[in-house]
Amino acid sequence: MASDAVVVFAPTSRWRRRKANLFAFLAAFAFVLALIPLVAVFGYIFVNGIHSLLSVDFLIQDPPADLSATGGGVRNALIGTLEMTGLASLIAVPIGLAVAIFAIEVGGGLARGARFLIDVLAGLPSIVVGIFVYASVVVTQGHFSGLAGSLALAIVMLPVVTVSAEEILRLTPRPIAEGARALGLARWRAVLSVFVPIGLSGIVTGILLGVSRAIGETAPLIFTSLGNNFFTLDINQPMQALPLLIYRNALNSGFATARDRAFGAALLLILIVFGFNLVGRWLTARRRLAGSSR
Amino acid sequence: MTAPSDQPRATMSLSPATLQGLEARAAAVDESDVTATQADDVDLAITVRDLSAWYGARRVIRDVSMDIRANAITAIIGPSGSGKSTLLRCLDRMHEVVPGARSSGTVSYQGVDIYDPRIEPAAVRRTIGMVFQQPNPFPTMSIYDNVAAPARFNGLVKGKAAQDELVERCLRQAALWDEVKDKLGHGGTSLSGGQQQRLCIARTLALQPKVLLMDEPCSALDPIATLQVEELMSTLKADYTIIIVTHNMQQASRVSDVTAFFNMGEDRAGYLVESDATRTLFTNPKNQLTEDYVSGRFG
Amino acid sequence: MTQSAEVPEPPRLDLGGLRRRGWTGDLTFRAILSTLTLGITVVLGVMMVESFISASPVYQKFGIIGFITGSTWAPSFTVYGAWAFIYGTFLTSLIALVIAVPVSVLIALLLTELAPARLRAPLGIAVDLLAAVPSVVYGLWGLLVLVPAMRPLEQAIAGTLGRVVPFFGPPTPGSSYFAAGVILAVMIVPIVSAVTREVFASTPRLQREAVLALGGTRWDVARTVTLPIGRAGLLAAVVLGLGRAMGETIAVTMVIGNSDNIGKSIFSPGFTLASVIANEFNEATETLHPEALIALGTVLLVMSVLVNGAAIAIRNRFTGGSRSGF
Repeated sequence: MASDAVVVFAPTSRWRRRKANLFAFLAAFAFVLALIPLVAVFGYIFVNGIHSLLSVDFLIQDPPADLSATGGGVRNALIGTLEMTGLASLIAVPIGLAVAIFAIEVGGGLARGARFLIDVLAGLPSIVVGIFVYASVVVTQGHFSGLAGSLALAIVMLPVVTVSAEEILRLTPRPIAEGARALGLARWRAVLSVFVPIGLSGIVTGILLGVSRAIGETAPLIFTSLGNNFFTLDINQPMQALPLLIYRNALNSGFATARDRAFGAALLLILIVFGFNLVGRWLTARRRLAGSSR
Repeated sequence: MTAPSDQPRATMSLSPATLQGLEARAAAVDESDVTATQADDVDLAITVRDLSAWYGARRVIRDVSMDIRANAITAIIGPSGSGKSTLLRCLDRMHEVVPGARSSGTVSYQGVDIYDPRIEPAAVRRTIGMVFQQPNPFPTMSIYDNVAAPARFNGLVKGKAAQDELVERCLRQAALWDEVKDKLGHGGTSLSGGQQQRLCIARTLALQPKVLLMDEPCSALDPIATLQVEELMSTLKADYTIIIVTHNMQQASRVSDVTAFFNMGEDRAGYLVESDATRTLFTNPKNQLTEDYVSGRFG
Repeated sequence: MTQSAEVPEPPRLDLGGLRRRGWTGDLTFRAILSTLTLGITVVLGVMMVESFISASPVYQKFGIIGFITGSTWAPSFTVYGAWAFIYGTFLTSLIALVIAVPVSVLIALLLTELAPARLRAPLGIAVDLLAAVPSVVYGLWGLLVLVPAMRPLEQAIAGTLGRVVPFFGPPTPGSSYFAAGVILAVMIVPIVSAVTREVFASTPRLQREAVLALGGTRWDVARTVTLPIGRAGLLAAVVLGLGRAMGETIAVTMVIGNSDNIGKSIFSPGFTLASVIANEFNEATETLHPEALIALGTVLLVMSVLVNGAAIAIRNRFTGGSRSGF
C-alpha cells in the first residue's frame, strides 16, 4: 500500500500552478492599481489642504473678491452647499419615496412610465440635468439662483433615492405584508407603519448615498446656481457651492493662494462626502449582519 | 460495457421493483463477492475516522468512522438531513468550498490523509471524482469539450488524437457514445436530462479517477435514465471504487455491495447508525432504527 | 397564511366606521402618491422638451444632420458643428474602457472567486469609495499631479511609436484626450466592477463546483465558467461604463486641454460634449452660442439614453432584470 502523499495524489503540474498563481497575482495587482488613485488623491488633497482646514477662519470667512489675494475662507461655499443640498433633499426624498411606493403598491402604466423615466435619469449625465433646469427654470426666471441649483441637485438625487427605496421595499417578506393587511390595516397604514420602518435603514442608506452624490456635483450647478463670490442665504440669488469654488480656484491654480484655497475646500468636500457615504454603507452593513444572525 | 441496444430490454425486466424481488437480485450479485466480504484482507480504498463537519456554527455530521471497500459499490442511505451529501463532499474536499464550512477528523485514501496540508485539494479531487445530484454540464461548451475539459484542466493528455481517443473512450464507458457520436459539437445542455447526467459521468471518468462519488445521481432522472445509470455503475465497479448517496432504498439494494445507514441525531447532526453488506443490512439489520427505516416505518 | 395571489382589495362596501376610514385614507394616500409621481413625470418631461425647444434655433439653422456632422465650431462666425466633440467623447470613453474594463474584470474576479470570504465586503467598499470622490476633486488632482506626471510617458510614446503612427504622435502638451481617458478610467472602474461583480456572483454554484471537483484551479473556474456564463452581463457593465464615461464633465474639462478642433493625435488637446458645454457656457455671448451649447446637451442626452437603454436591455434580457448597482 502506497503511503507517499505525492505518489497517491499527484500535485498539479508546475506550469498549471504558475498559471493559476499568475491569475491571482494579476487580480490582486488590478485591485491595487485601482486603489492607487484613491489613496493618491486623498493623500495629496489631505497633505495640501489640512493646514487651510485647521484654521477656523477658513470656515467662517468668505473668500476675497480677487482670487489671487491671500486670506479669507470658504464660508459662502460651505453654507451654499449645505443649503442647496438640504433643499434638494427636501424635494427629492418625498418624491423619490412616493414614486417607489407608488411603483410597488399601485403599479400600472403611470408607475411603469415614472420608473422608466427614473431609470433614464439614473444614467443621464449630470450636466444634462443642469441644462434641463437652465432651459426651463433659469431662462424663465431670467436669472441664476440657488433655487435652480437645488432643483438640479434634487433631480440628481432622485434616481438614487427611488431605486434603492424600491429595492428595499420589494424585499419586505410577503407574510409580513399579508399579515399587516390581515390585521385590518388600511393600505396606507400598512405601508407607513409596517413596510417603511422595516426597510428604514436601507431607505436611509439610499438617501445618504444620494446626498453624498449631490454634494459633490459641479456640472449641474454651473448653469443653475452659477456661483457667487459673496455670502448669501437668499435662494433667489446666485449661490456659491464648494465644488464650484474648487473648480474656479483650480482653473486659477497659477496663484498659490487660489490653489491652497482649492485644496482646503477639496479636503472639506471629501470629508463631507465620505462621511455621508460611509455612514450610509455602515447602516446597511449593520442591518445585513443583524439579518444574517437571525 | 453496456451496448445501447440492450437498454430497452433491461428496462422492461426491471421496472416494477418490489423490495423482495430486488433482494433476490442483490443476493445473486453478492454471492460472487461473499468471500471477499468475509476475508480479513479486504482491500480498503478509504478509511474515515471521527469525521465531523460544520456549516458555520451548525454541525451537520458527527464522529463518523467507516471503511470503504475498493472496487465495490457502497451506498449511503438515510433520511434527509442525515448528512449523507456532506459526508460525500468531505471525501473529496468539496465541503470546504462552501464559505464557512469546515470539518475535523481524518479521511485516508490508500493510507494517505487527504487533509494533509502538503496535499492540494485539486489533487485529491483528481483522484476522487464526483458526480453531482443535478446534471451540470458546462453550458457554454460542446459535448466534446465537456468531456475534454478535465483533461485540459489537468494536462492529462497530449495531442488531439489522444484527446479524441479519451473523449470517445469515456463516452463509451458512460454508454452515451452511440447517442452523441454524430453531434459532438452540439451544446452539452442540448441533451436530455438522463443524457446530461451520463455526460457528466463521462466527464468525471475523463479525469481518470480511482474513486467515483455520486451524490443522488438519479434524483433528477426519469426511471429509464435511472436504469441506464445504474447499469453503468455495475460495469464501472470493476475499475472504480464507487460511493453513491441515495434516498432510494430500492436503488441501494439493487446496485450496492455495502450499505451505510445514516440518521439525524437529536442535535440535528447526522451520524452513522450501521454499515454492512447490503443484503445483511436490508434483511437482518443489527439496529432497530435501521430496521424501521428499511421497512419504511420512518424517513 | 393564505395564497399570496389573493391579497384582498380594500373593501368597497360599508363594513363599519373603522374600515371606511381606512378606505378613505387609502384613497387620499393613493391620490398623494399619484400626484407626486405624475407631477415629477410631467416636470421632467417638460424640462426635456424645454431643452429641445431652446436648442431648436440651432437645429433649424444647420439641420440636425448638419449640426451633428459639422466639424467646425466657430462661435465668432456663428458656425456650429458638433462633430469634434462627439469624436472627443467617443475617443476619451474608448481610452477609458480599454484601461478600465480589464482592471474591473480582474477586480470582480478577485472579489468573487479569489479573495477570502471575510475580506470581500471591505475590499468591495474600498472600490466603491472610488466612485464617491467628487469629479472636481479628481479634476484638481488630475490637473496638478496626473497631467505633469504623464507628460514623460506621452513624450516617450510620441517619440517612438508616434514617429510611425501619427495617432500617437506629438505634440504632447500633457492635457489631452489621453489624460482625460485615464481620469475617466479611474472614475468608471467602480461602476463597471460593481455590475461585473454582481454578474459573476450569480454564477450557478453547481457550475463552479463542477470545475473544482474536476481538479480545476481558480483560474479554470474563471475561464471555463465565470467569464463565459457572465459575458452578457459583462457586456452590460461595459456599456454602462461607456454611458458614465460619456457624461462625465468637470474632471474631463480640467485635463482635456480645451480645444475646439479635432486633435490628430491621442495626445492632442480637445473637448468632449460635456466638457465644452461646461467650459464655454459662462462666456457664451456670441449669437446662438448658448443655444448651440444646449443643442450639444441634447445630443449628449440622446446618446446617453441610447447607451444606457442598451445596457438595461442587455442586462434585463440575460440576467433576469436585477437592477441594483446603478
